[in-house]
Amino acid sequence: MVREEVAGSTQTLQWKCVESRVDSKRLYYGRFILSPLRKGQADTVGIALRRALLGETEGTCITHAKFGSVPHEYSTIAGIEESVQEILLNLKEIVLRSNLYGVRTASICVKGPRYITAQDIILPPSVEIVDTAQPIANLTEPTDFRIELRIKRDRGYHTEVRKNTQDGSYPIDAVSMPVRNVNYSIFACGNGNAKYEILFLEIWTNGSLTPKEALYEASRNLIDLFLPFLHTEEEGTRFQENKNRFTSPLLSFQKRLTNLKKNKKRIPLNCIFIDQLELPSRTYNCLKRANIHTLLDLLSKTEEDLMRIDSFRMQDGKQIWDTLEKHLPMDLPKNKF
Amino acid sequence: MLRNGNEGMSTIPGFSQIQFEGFCRFINQGLAEELEKFPTIKDPDHEISFQLFAKGYQLLEPSIKERDAVYESLTYSSELYVSARLIFGFDVQKQTISIGNIPIMNSLGTFIINGIYRIVINQILLSPGIYYRSELDHKGISIYTGTIISDWGGRSELAIDKKERIWARVSRKQKISILVLSSAMGSNLKEILDNVSYPEIFLSFPNAKEKKRIESKEKAILEFYQQFACVGGDLVFSESLCEELQKKFFQQKCELGRIGRRNMNRRLNLDIPQNSTFLLPRDVLAATDHLIGMKFETGILDDDDMNHLKNKRIRSVADLLQDQFGLALGRLQHAVQKTIRRVFIRQSKPTPQTLVTPTSTSILLITTYETFFGTYPLSQVFDQTNPLTQTVHGRKVSCLGPGGLTGRTASFRSRDIHPSHYGRICPIDTSEGINVGLTGSLAIHARIDHWWGSVESPFYEISEKAKKKKERQVVYLSPNRDEYYMIAAGNSLSLNRGIQEEQVVPARYRQEFLTIAWEQIHVRSIFPFQYFSIGGSLIPFIEHNDANRALMSSNMQRQAVPLSRSEKCIVGTGLERQTALDSRVSVIAEREGKIISTNSHKILLSSSGKTISIPLVTHRRSNKNTCMHQKPRVPRGKSIKKGQILAEGAATVGGELALGKNVLVAYMPWEGYNFEDAVLISERLVYEDIYTSFHIRKYEIQTDTTSQGSAEKITKEIPHLEEHLLRNLDRNGVVKLGSWVETGDILVGKLTPQIASESSYIAEAGLLRAIFGLEVSTSKETSLKLPIGGRGRVIDVKWIQRDPLDIMVRVYILQKREIKVGDKVAGRHGNKGIISKILPRQDMPYLQDGTPVDMVFNPLGVPSRMNVGQIFESSLGLAGDLLKKHYRIAPFDERYEQEASRKLVFSELYEASKQTKNPWVFEPEYPGKSRIFDGRTGDPFEQPVLIGKSYILKLIHQVDEKIHGRSTGPYSLVTQQPVRGRAKQGGQRIGEMEVWALEGFGVAHILQEILTYKSDHLIARQEILNATIWGKRVPNHEDPPESFRVLVRELRSLALELNHFLVSQKNFQVNREEV
Repeated sequence: MVREEVAGSTQTLQWKCVESRVDSKRLYYGRFILSPLRKGQADTVGIALRRALLGETEGTCITHAKFGSVPHEYSTIAGIEESVQEILLNLKEIVLRSNLYGVRTASICVKGPRYITAQDIILPPSVEIVDTAQPIANLTEPTDFRIELRIKRDRGYHTEVRKNTQDGSYPIDAVSMPVRNVNYSIFACGNGNAKYEILFLEIWTNGSLTPKEALYEASRNLIDLFLPFLHTEEEGTRFQENKNRFTSPLLSFQKRLTNLKKNKKRIPLNCIFIDQLELPSRTYNCLKRANIHTLLDLLSKTEEDLMRIDSFRMQDGKQIWDTLEKHLPMDLPKNKF
Repeated sequence: MLRNGNEGMSTIPGFSQIQFEGFCRFINQGLAEELEKFPTIKDPDHEISFQLFAKGYQLLEPSIKERDAVYESLTYSSELYVSARLIFGFDVQKQTISIGNIPIMNSLGTFIINGIYRIVINQILLSPGIYYRSELDHKGISIYTGTIISDWGGRSELAIDKKERIWARVSRKQKISILVLSSAMGSNLKEILDNVSYPEIFLSFPNAKEKKRIESKEKAILEFYQQFACVGGDLVFSESLCEELQKKFFQQKCELGRIGRRNMNRRLNLDIPQNSTFLLPRDVLAATDHLIGMKFETGILDDDDMNHLKNKRIRSVADLLQDQFGLALGRLQHAVQKTIRRVFIRQSKPTPQTLVTPTSTSILLITTYETFFGTYPLSQVFDQTNPLTQTVHGRKVSCLGPGGLTGRTASFRSRDIHPSHYGRICPIDTSEGINVGLTGSLAIHARIDHWWGSVESPFYEISEKAKKKKERQVVYLSPNRDEYYMIAAGNSLSLNRGIQEEQVVPARYRQEFLTIAWEQIHVRSIFPFQYFSIGGSLIPFIEHNDANRALMSSNMQRQAVPLSRSEKCIVGTGLERQTALDSRVSVIAEREGKIISTNSHKILLSSSGKTISIPLVTHRRSNKNTCMHQKPRVPRGKSIKKGQILAEGAATVGGELALGKNVLVAYMPWEGYNFEDAVLISERLVYEDIYTSFHIRKYEIQTDTTSQGSAEKITKEIPHLEEHLLRNLDRNGVVKLGSWVETGDILVGKLTPQIASESSYIAEAGLLRAIFGLEVSTSKETSLKLPIGGRGRVIDVKWIQRDPLDIMVRVYILQKREIKVGDKVAGRHGNKGIISKILPRQDMPYLQDGTPVDMVFNPLGVPSRMNVGQIFESSLGLAGDLLKKHYRIAPFDERYEQEASRKLVFSELYEASKQTKNPWVFEPEYPGKSRIFDGRTGDPFEQPVLIGKSYILKLIHQVDEKIHGRSTGPYSLVTQQPVRGRAKQGGQRIGEMEVWALEGFGVAHILQEILTYKSDHLIARQEILNATIWGKRVPNHEDPPESFRVLVRELRSLALELNHFLVSQKNFQVNREEV
């Protein structure tokens, strides 16, 4: 999308990988430039890409591990230097490269004594290990060691609630964040009218994808977020305002109330207290004693109801309706009193 | 034995040594001293005599292992064998007999009593002796008093009144004439007059009648008793009266003890032999002389400073255990006497062993000690939050406890720092709150002289005389000696001993700080940390911090939780290693050898032909519910040396203390999320498990026998409970190992049998019985349920069965806690805060190289708190992080150069900037600060911001243990207000000020409901439930709530009637309303 916008300018927008190096198996570095950009555009693209790279890229991780016969994840296994907990922590750090979809299983089947590294993981096709030297455990005795692993491609991180899983596997709080760090910087170039900006983008990844791939994936994810705006607005999904604000069942005077509602749409009757009606204190006290506090209470009473109230007189009723008419311009049935 | 190692060397003594020395003294001397006091038990009629010998007692190796004692809730103790002699007629038997068990100190300096680690902390008390004081009364006349303090803390006072009479105040109310006192103690008038320097003052006041009263000892005692016990009438002298006085007065107030005798001799220039530990008439007369001298002759102020450490003594574990041993021996003596009597009834032939074997006698010793450890205020549960806490706890000194001060009444002066504290008791490390200044911590070089109970500090002798000797140049000075020396207070390094530093040096002399020429200096301090406790000396750049904040820091470091993966601090002080080693959380090779195998739970070591199995601690609970775990750190087949670390414990890395993590911090405001010390953190700290800690809780339940005699049983079959709650139980009815449990789950199913009576049926049971004739279970479910807030993995289930009916089941549940909003974090400079928000890493402010910051602190937290050390630390930490360097910095480097700390930090930052080619690390316009960007917008912040790597700790105050809400719950019985406290499901108090707030907002209805329905209006409270369920109006009661009624009734009990009356408008009829 950005390209399309800038296409109108004199030069076409181009990106280039300036520098790319592999510091270690788990640390890739890449530097890219994007130019020429008009003033301010570099910032727009830069921050969007930084956030997309850090937050939107997907990675593959081990999410569950199942040990043969271990009572719990804090126990120790004879013949292994690490406790189960430490093995799980080690598994958490293993970096995998894949483009799978869904959950796959992998396993480790080793006989000691030896060091177990990421090399020993038997992986399903389409998944590979980035750093085969990552340690998992140290078997010190000739014992069989088996772990079954579940692998999933995901984004972000999950701290799983440890329910008692049926198969006795232990969840690993997997972190699928292949991009380690991103930085961008902007350089202004040119002179006079032909001022333009260059965006430098530095990406460090954990090796499960190259910075170039990360950049590609992040931009695609970013574009996906904007795609809906390119389509025409759909009719059915317009958000409607909920007009029906009070839904409490009204017992009597149904008709009149609907009438009232039509006239005074937005004043919820139960929000108007009779205090606001400036009634004479006598009438007011009468109503209060009868547990009539809001206009809704008042309107939901029939005339007979009102007359049944202690020391409520005919005049009072009339007075009330007069006041109501005065304050609230609405159609009150004239024949009431 | 333990002491000689460090003589002449200025290495830091072992931190737990204080406790070990105390216990050694008890074992080596205390036991013998008490055994010597054990009298020969004789029965004159039958010529039997029983005797214990102080020589040649033996302690057996404990029969159980330390960790078994913890696990089985037993006491870690060893059996004491003493040689005894029994003469029975002409038959003399000598035998080595066991008289019971004595708890034994372990390598942590603690005891294990009933499976719980306990420690006895040192008490600091006013030394027995005499103290003079002069003060002005309200009329401006000087009053002179001398207070005699006994070994047990009893006080008696000598005073001169306006009429120049001398009184001795013997109890709170009574004072008696000094002549009566000394006569009662056994000297006659002539002796008195001969021995005093001012006989005319003594003679001036007794008239003839009074003289008669003291003409003999008996009469004086009678007189004394009459006044002391406030009895009138004519008493006749008798032995019992004398005894009672002896017990009530002389033993409590006149026993000076060894230390008191020395102090008395020293203060009054007497030469009474050391072994007369009681107050003698000579003492009283000399004391009176001195008092008179103060008033009439010299007039010089000869006041004693009660807060001076020379007037204090340390009562250590040795003294306390010895007292208890004496107590137990006293009981033993009674028991043996009883057994001897029984022997004659049965006509059996006793041996020394049979006299002490009956079960009641043989457990005398251990029960005495168990009661002591369980009830004595200075025996505390060992604080095991982290290794530092363990080390520090044994080095505490407390003025509280029996014979000491109390937090509420102690004066300001007694809490204050005294010049004599320097080098002995840390001036900064004390508790906050009510006990401030009353509990302290020993300075790292201080040692306790267990004989005299004084705290000594080492100094380096540099006077001419010492130079000639060459040897033993480090001297330990007790508080009364170091006043006579000029002490160079400059924080000289121990490296350049004796080298003259400057012509004129700051020095301490007689509680004053002076500047003295180098030639006049006698001794100098040996180490910059000499004045501080361990907690204080772990703070880097402490000299830049305000003392109050340093105090908080030394307290908060003790609250740090061990994290799942520890990390060394980049900036430290160099004391981390010894602290970690002395805490004994790591496994250290006791001898050299070769590693055969390493496992997660044990290490096999072959040493000189033998194979030693070293068990490791795996996920064990500490007293503070933190997790203790040891990880092996030596590969198989490696040869190791003695003292090498084999496995690392919690919160240690490479043998160094590692309480927290180095995180990237920025000091800037961020959308108000760091208002009032709140802290904003990055999500990275959560998902990378940087501040993840483990907590293990213990839940236990015991089966009892009911009053009807039927036993409770543990079972899976529990009626009327959802299957869901029982899902984790095994067939025995106890939770399965490894299951994940949540709040409310049953951990142990237990049924208590109940006598079924017709009326006690619950409604549906009665119905079932009536319709189907079904017999509904007659037992009550009293299972162990997981309380609120508890969830986690069951890691251990332990059955302890002492007898068939008394079963105890313990369930250990481990909880993994990531850092979350509401947790408390702190740096090492007293900069503490609560997590207010956790931001995704892309939203956090980021540095010029794109790195997101981990924590954002409020810059306003620095200036008013004056803990600038944190700034130095964070900047130097950043440099160290970039340069891959660790710094260990001794305090007070400013004495070498002006602004030395700042220069060091900046030069290191500059170096880091140059080496890593990151110009933003050091920018000359704003060194230490950097321009950083907002992660959400990418805009740079307006001002450069201070960034750095700080060492931040996660403290034990975690939100999981504090969060609490209540809908309904228990109410207190009298006031009917909700009870207090989270543990009791209590309510939240709406106090006076909270009511004002609500009044201020004008929210009358909220206020009303808080004060009535939600609190103590009984009827309204019951009706509200109905009203909410049926959607009716909430009732509006006008009568007063319960607590008001309580108030009215309390007033009535004071004969005050509170009522209100309604006067009718019409007929003026008065209606009395009952409240």
